[in-house]
Amino acid sequence: MDGTVLATLGAALAAVLAGIGSAIGVGIAGQASAGAVSENPELSGSCLVLQLLPGTQGIYGLLIAFVIASGAGLLGGGAAITVQQGWRYLFAAIPIGFGGLLSAIYQGKVAVAGINMVVKRPDQSGKAILQAIMVETYAVLALLISFLLVTGI
Amino acid sequence: MIVEMKRLMLVAHKADEANILKALQDIEAVQVLSISDEEKPSDALDKVELRGAKLTYSLEAIKPYAKKAGMLSPRREETLQEVMDRIDAGVELSGVLEDLVRKKNNCRAEQEKNFSLISALRPFENFPYPMEKYVQQKHVHFFLGLVAQKDVPLLQAQDYLSIELYSEGSTVSALVACHEDDAKNASSFLKSIDWTDVVFPKMEGTPRAAMKLLQDRNEELEKLILEITEQIKAHAQSSAIIEDAADATRIERDRLKAATELKRTMATFALEGWVRTDEIEKVQSAIEKVTDAFNLDVRDPNEDEIPPSVVKNNKFVTPFEQVQTLYSRPTYGGIDGTPFMTPCYVLLFGLMLSDAGYGLLLMLGSWLYIKLKKPTGMSGGISRVLYWGGLSTIVWGVLLGTFFGLSLKEEIGLFPLWFDPMTDSMTMLALCFGLGIVHILFGYVLKMKVAFSKKDWQTAIFDALSWIFIISGLVMYMLPLLGIALPEVLSKIGLGMALVGAALILLFKGRGKKNPFKRTIAGFGELYNISSVLSDILSYARLFALGIATGVIATVFNQLCAMLMGGSGILKILGILIACVLLVALHLFNVAINTLGAFVHCARLQYVEFYGKFYEAGGREFTPLGYRTKHIQVTK
Repeated sequence: MDGTVLATLGAALAAVLAGIGSAIGVGIAGQASAGAVSENPELSGSCLVLQLLPGTQGIYGLLIAFVIASGAGLLGGGAAITVQQGWRYLFAAIPIGFGGLLSAIYQGKVAVAGINMVVKRPDQSGKAILQAIMVETYAVLALLISFLLVTGI
Repeated sequence: MIVEMKRLMLVAHKADEANILKALQDIEAVQVLSISDEEKPSDALDKVELRGAKLTYSLEAIKPYAKKAGMLSPRREETLQEVMDRIDAGVELSGVLEDLVRKKNNCRAEQEKNFSLISALRPFENFPYPMEKYVQQKHVHFFLGLVAQKDVPLLQAQDYLSIELYSEGSTVSALVACHEDDAKNASSFLKSIDWTDVVFPKMEGTPRAAMKLLQDRNEELEKLILEITEQIKAHAQSSAIIEDAADATRIERDRLKAATELKRTMATFALEGWVRTDEIEKVQSAIEKVTDAFNLDVRDPNEDEIPPSVVKNNKFVTPFEQVQTLYSRPTYGGIDGTPFMTPCYVLLFGLMLSDAGYGLLLMLGSWLYIKLKKPTGMSGGISRVLYWGGLSTIVWGVLLGTFFGLSLKEEIGLFPLWFDPMTDSMTMLALCFGLGIVHILFGYVLKMKVAFSKKDWQTAIFDALSWIFIISGLVMYMLPLLGIALPEVLSKIGLGMALVGAALILLFKGRGKKNPFKRTIAGFGELYNISSVLSDILSYARLFALGIATGVIATVFNQLCAMLMGGSGILKILGILIACVLLVALHLFNVAINTLGAFVHCARLQYVEFYGKFYEAGGREFTPLGYRTKHIQVTK
């Protein structure tokens, strides 16, 4: 066995976990914003922004998955990597995998609360966005660490 | 800069009231405050509000048919007179529309009713007699209803009943007849089986004929509805008239609302409100044009009166006021952070988006939007912020990033001019933290400035300067440990500064407290904030991460499309076609999502890490009496 299996698992974990998180986050925020927009169609702009915010984790996961895949030569044409390198790719995927999963879900919850706030106070959408961004910080940090770990291999 | 506000008190003749309010609305300079002691709401205001509601209703009704204004077309410009002249026409048109909509709704309701009648009659389609003939006879009792198929044999087994069935299926429509003496028996028997009584609607003819009649009527109605819809569509072409009338009504309503805030005597009225100091003369001359019999008194606000906060800046900085407003307006006595935040915002925004191609796209896009749409207010501000952000993105992209995800260093050896963060990630992190430290120190410097302007030198020295000493001192001390060569004396000075800063905090943080023990505790508590300063600095790592998110994702998209083009023969041509479309779509998506990300994350760095040090949030909005229109722009 060479390390490609482990590296593939790492890439898959990064994409799938962060993707699940984003799907849940964007999903619940989307339900809330559908309710808000049915009450007042003029809110669709700020609701859309709030709904999109938990979507970035999935993109971060995709990014790390791709960096791992190209680094480990999974896209074809690369030299085989050692088992140890494979393990390192796998572990490097953990920060964005789990960080993305949980932060996207919680960011989605904050976005739902923010959408409810925008319904009552449409002029306060900036604050709602800011509150959701506070959660995103940790996905961004996870992305950074995953990226540094992968490029360090 | 926060504009100085004055409290204004105007007394004039009641006869001039309407004209003076009109003049004040025209100059948009006075926020009217309520000093009214009248309880009853004004009838005129009620009337105007009702008219506004009607106009809005008919606008909603024609919205699906009206010509949509293009995304980029600016608001129509009209003079006040033009708008006001359209009220009558708009009200008339909206009355016509209201009638049409009501007619259409009536037709729909009748259609619904007919449909339900038809479906009620359907089981009796084969009933051969006219319905009006179906009445109870003297000696024969009739039951009309639906019976379950399984109970039909049971029904037929009763020899005192005569039965006719009209349909097939799981429930069967039936007419049951019996002698009047057996009516009680029959009724209780029917209750024991699966039987539902049915009553014919009050119609003539056989059910089949009645159904035909109803269907014809419905077709007629459908035609009528189409006709009415065509009429509504025809009127929708002149939706501009109703829009104007609605805006004119808004203008009138605002003025009448302001009129309810006034205090009145037999012959005079008094108006109290806020006005910007630099607009007092404008107000004075506007009233002078109406009358010379008035008394205008302008004074400074009292201690217990909180004026609204208005900020004034130069042309470059003004759009960024909207970024500040998204957070909070400054308190009246505080500081306007916009001029200081603006350069930081532009600088950090570009580093986050960090792709020269995307910067170009953003800059061109927002330039076009500004030129064509001529946006004002929040969207106007934000589009200009994005314009400058785009420019900064181009610069950063050339320095360290990519061009639409392409590393041009490999292609033509041009970029990046400075270094490549993908291979040199530690330098990039150092750059981010370095910018962060400068940003935070700038925040503390502004805190000193605020404190000095309030003549509070103790806060300036002990709460702000001390932290500047600690942060910059520690940085100077730590740099050699990270392998960056500094003259040894500098690092010693750094350590000294940090110690002086810490000592200042330890000794003077609790300067309000007499007890030296409590004082030291307060000092230690404040010193513990070093951890929050540290997390503030680490927070700037997002600059790097968001830069990766843009650049690497763009590269990923490029590689995906390159794979598509990798086929041979016809596949290659197809692949290239798909890839071209996909490239445009994917890059547009990427630029949109990352612009959103850069905008909000950059705003967060300003709000939390920067404003947190010196800004006093919570100011009130200045809402002068003016033209708050929705569809048009009033020109003078």
